[in-house]
Amino acid sequence: MSDYNLIGKRMPRVDSRSKVTGKVRFTADLNLPGMLVGKVKRSPYAHARIVKIDTSKAKALPGVKAVVTGEDTEGVKWGVFAYTRDQQFIQMEKVRYIGDEVAGVAAVDEETALKALDLIEVEYEELPAVFDPLEAMASKGPLIHDDFPDNINVHVNIDTGSVDENFEKSHYIREDTFVAAEESYFQAEPYAVVARFDEEDCLEVWMPNGGPHMKSKPLSNAFKIPLHKVKVKKIAIGGAFGGRSEICPVDYICALLAKRTKAPVKIQFTREENTIATRQGHSMIVTHKTGVDKEGQVLARETTCYMDGGAYSSTGPIATSVPFLSMEQAYRMGSVRYNGYRIYTNKPIRGMIRVHGRAFACGVDTQLDMIADHLSIDPVEIRLKNSRQPGEYTSTKSQVSSCAMDETILKAVEKSKFKEKWGKLPAYHGIGIGTNSVQTGFPMGIRGGSQAFIKFNEDGEATVMSGVVDNGQGNDNMLVQIAAEELGLLPEDIHLVSADTETTSSDPGSYSQVSTFVGGQAVQVAAKNCKKRLFDVAAKILKVEPDTLAAKNRMIYVKDDPEKSIPIKKVVRIALLNFTSVNAQGGYWPKVDMKREWVSNPFGQMCEAFSFGTTIIEVKVDPDTGQVEVLEATAVQDVGKALNPLVLEGQFEGSIAMGGQANLTEYHDWKDGRVLNPTMLEYKLPLACDMPPKINNIIVESVDPKGPYGAKEAGMSIAMSAAQAYAAAVSNAIGVYLDSYPLTPDKILAAIKKKQEEEAKQGAKKARVN
Amino acid sequence: MEKITITLNVNNESHEVLVAPNDTLLEVLRDQLDFTGSKESCGEGVCGSCTVHMDGKPVRACLTLALEAENIEIKTVEGLANGDELSPLQQSFIDHGAVQCGFCTPGMLMSADALLNNNRQPDEATVRKAISGNICRCTGYAKIVHAVAHAHNPHQGCCDCNHKE
Repeated sequence: MSDYNLIGKRMPRVDSRSKVTGKVRFTADLNLPGMLVGKVKRSPYAHARIVKIDTSKAKALPGVKAVVTGEDTEGVKWGVFAYTRDQQFIQMEKVRYIGDEVAGVAAVDEETALKALDLIEVEYEELPAVFDPLEAMASKGPLIHDDFPDNINVHVNIDTGSVDENFEKSHYIREDTFVAAEESYFQAEPYAVVARFDEEDCLEVWMPNGGPHMKSKPLSNAFKIPLHKVKVKKIAIGGAFGGRSEICPVDYICALLAKRTKAPVKIQFTREENTIATRQGHSMIVTHKTGVDKEGQVLARETTCYMDGGAYSSTGPIATSVPFLSMEQAYRMGSVRYNGYRIYTNKPIRGMIRVHGRAFACGVDTQLDMIADHLSIDPVEIRLKNSRQPGEYTSTKSQVSSCAMDETILKAVEKSKFKEKWGKLPAYHGIGIGTNSVQTGFPMGIRGGSQAFIKFNEDGEATVMSGVVDNGQGNDNMLVQIAAEELGLLPEDIHLVSADTETTSSDPGSYSQVSTFVGGQAVQVAAKNCKKRLFDVAAKILKVEPDTLAAKNRMIYVKDDPEKSIPIKKVVRIALLNFTSVNAQGGYWPKVDMKREWVSNPFGQMCEAFSFGTTIIEVKVDPDTGQVEVLEATAVQDVGKALNPLVLEGQFEGSIAMGGQANLTEYHDWKDGRVLNPTMLEYKLPLACDMPPKINNIIVESVDPKGPYGAKEAGMSIAMSAAQAYAAAVSNAIGVYLDSYPLTPDKILAAIKKKQEEEAKQGAKKARVN
Repeated sequence: MEKITITLNVNNESHEVLVAPNDTLLEVLRDQLDFTGSKESCGEGVCGSCTVHMDGKPVRACLTLALEAENIEIKTVEGLANGDELSPLQQSFIDHGAVQCGFCTPGMLMSADALLNNNRQPDEATVRKAISGNICRCTGYAKIVHAVAHAHNPHQGCCDCNHKE
């Protein structure tokens, strides 16, 4: 039985009051004195050389305060890695997708700014463009980036050896290809930036971000100013889902306009801009070849994946690896060979997204179902046969310590009554299972760790400073909960200062599911250090040893004699009177293999812990319309330890929506590199009425030895396994294994029709034989 | 375009504002009156983030001209609480964990509040229908549905309604 005060409790989030009253400020809500409106001129061509840009008419328009082009920049290219620096913040020589930035304008109001955009004359020389990754690789036309032959941006090759030998030993081998269209983030908050230079020439900037330090460094590089002069400020953020992890060219453009005009500038994206000019998910074509023994154990797997990366590298090496890594964590693969190619095309830039690689994940699971079908074993059995076990190493040599994969499968099966239903449901009624695993971070070099500071105020309350950012998932609450638990204070006694590059230390950022494990743990360590200082003082007053003390409800007390106690406030004041600091710091650096690198050395300890999840979905398909009705969802995840079940369930449910439900409707439609459905009207996001009426959330706690209180991460394994479970359930309902995602009605109807025609042919053949 | 002075009644207070004929109610609320609780997410009446009440009915402020809102009681999310005292719906959102990033929350609250004003104890299907014009990307809606359904009607089996007992 745990004796935590707050950990494990359903704690309503500390940030929710300001959100339900409408008081909280997002970037677009900021209104600074003298603020100008910024707008960005974008390329109308998918691929073109810039011949000339004439800004004179725009500059002459009354109310226009500045116009900037690539000529005004320091010419610093952006890329997440030294070997992927391929993007100018404002293009000077050529444009590579419809939406590429060519100029920026600041004016007194929006109307004037928009007029000025029209007055900027850009002369282009159009170049042949490519929109399909396979065509881009084969193209003899001009390369999208001259130094990347065949338009191959990233090639990740992982080979554990013995793959061919193990295929030879296999009892059954199959090879199948799966495809998925690109999906988009559709964060509720359209991207926005506010920038100004303060009286000390420091850049102050507000924007939605997945990590403020990931924004400040490239800005300091781009302006060639020291890091301490870039202040990325804390602001409420309306969702990220992986799409706000990097610098956005407009961060720089907005700051450049502020510098030129010596005034604050705000740029607000339209919904279309948010879709086109931030990031999108990768579309992909994946071929899995899998060999198994008689019992369905995977002996060898070879996977080749082509990802449409769009115009620039973005997080390319990571994005090309993570879909594979998630699957190699979830399932033992025997020996494996992976070739992942990220290909440049003249389309918007692709980044990391909550559901890493639909085709990839769904492919592995769908193929397991196909193999199970062939071997006449059920989908649960084949998963249990191949599921990750604690203590094992993944194919790329990461040791998995805590792992309750099997328990998630078994609990999901029991709750959903999978065994009773599978194969026994009426026609067009199906049930399917998906399993997956995600990392808690990856080697991030000098930004891989997080540090926190805790300052006790003389009233006995504390200020906690952490670099962790909250994108909406509840990180602020997580930090407060941990600090309050450790310090023996109430949540309302904690003031959080976070995600501010001026005051908080660097942190990996709120992506790769690392925030709780690393950032939360850093706060825990700092709080423990702080508490130690208080206990040393209190021990003298209470005349006991410090290790006999505990803190709870604003009191420090003797564990075996709780009556013997002293208020924390009093201890703080006595410490200060005795020339003793009551502040403390602490940090956490996960023990990962720093030599591991995405392309050059994809082996070694990736992170310290992995989460494991299983989703089971039950559906009904209307054979006349192809519409899918989802009856029930069961989401089970090994989270390590549930710090706050209330928040955790919210992550599970959101994952069912964005991972699973999205796999029915979400994709982009294209014409010559132009997105035809960039808005919420045409792109079909799940609504309340579309969601399954019942989501069963089951939390499994394997208590990770390294995680804070044993915690790992919350919900990402559900997002990914949900995509797989939806695919499996619909396939099960119609009796056809679907290999193209999302599972839109047209594809479902075509599959049903094809099956009926084949059955009719078989019937006719049988009739002739008879 | 020539601007016109009109009076807007927002959250029981009158405000004189100078508006262009094409200014939307959302623009005037946000940019002139600093009621930034109402959000613009899609800008085309699809997502519901800008929902406010006009004479008690939920409307899209991004599709409503400011001129149309004259002489009408407008209520925004800032008008839901009574001073520092949250409305039962707001409290229910907090207690049920219905708020994540919070960007859709104001619009969601205004749609739900309009429903509860007519039906204090809606079932979950009714709630789902009532908020179908509000897009939330974070929550999967489950906790929002519970928060609305239980706002005036605490459920025995719901561990997040317990604070009311």
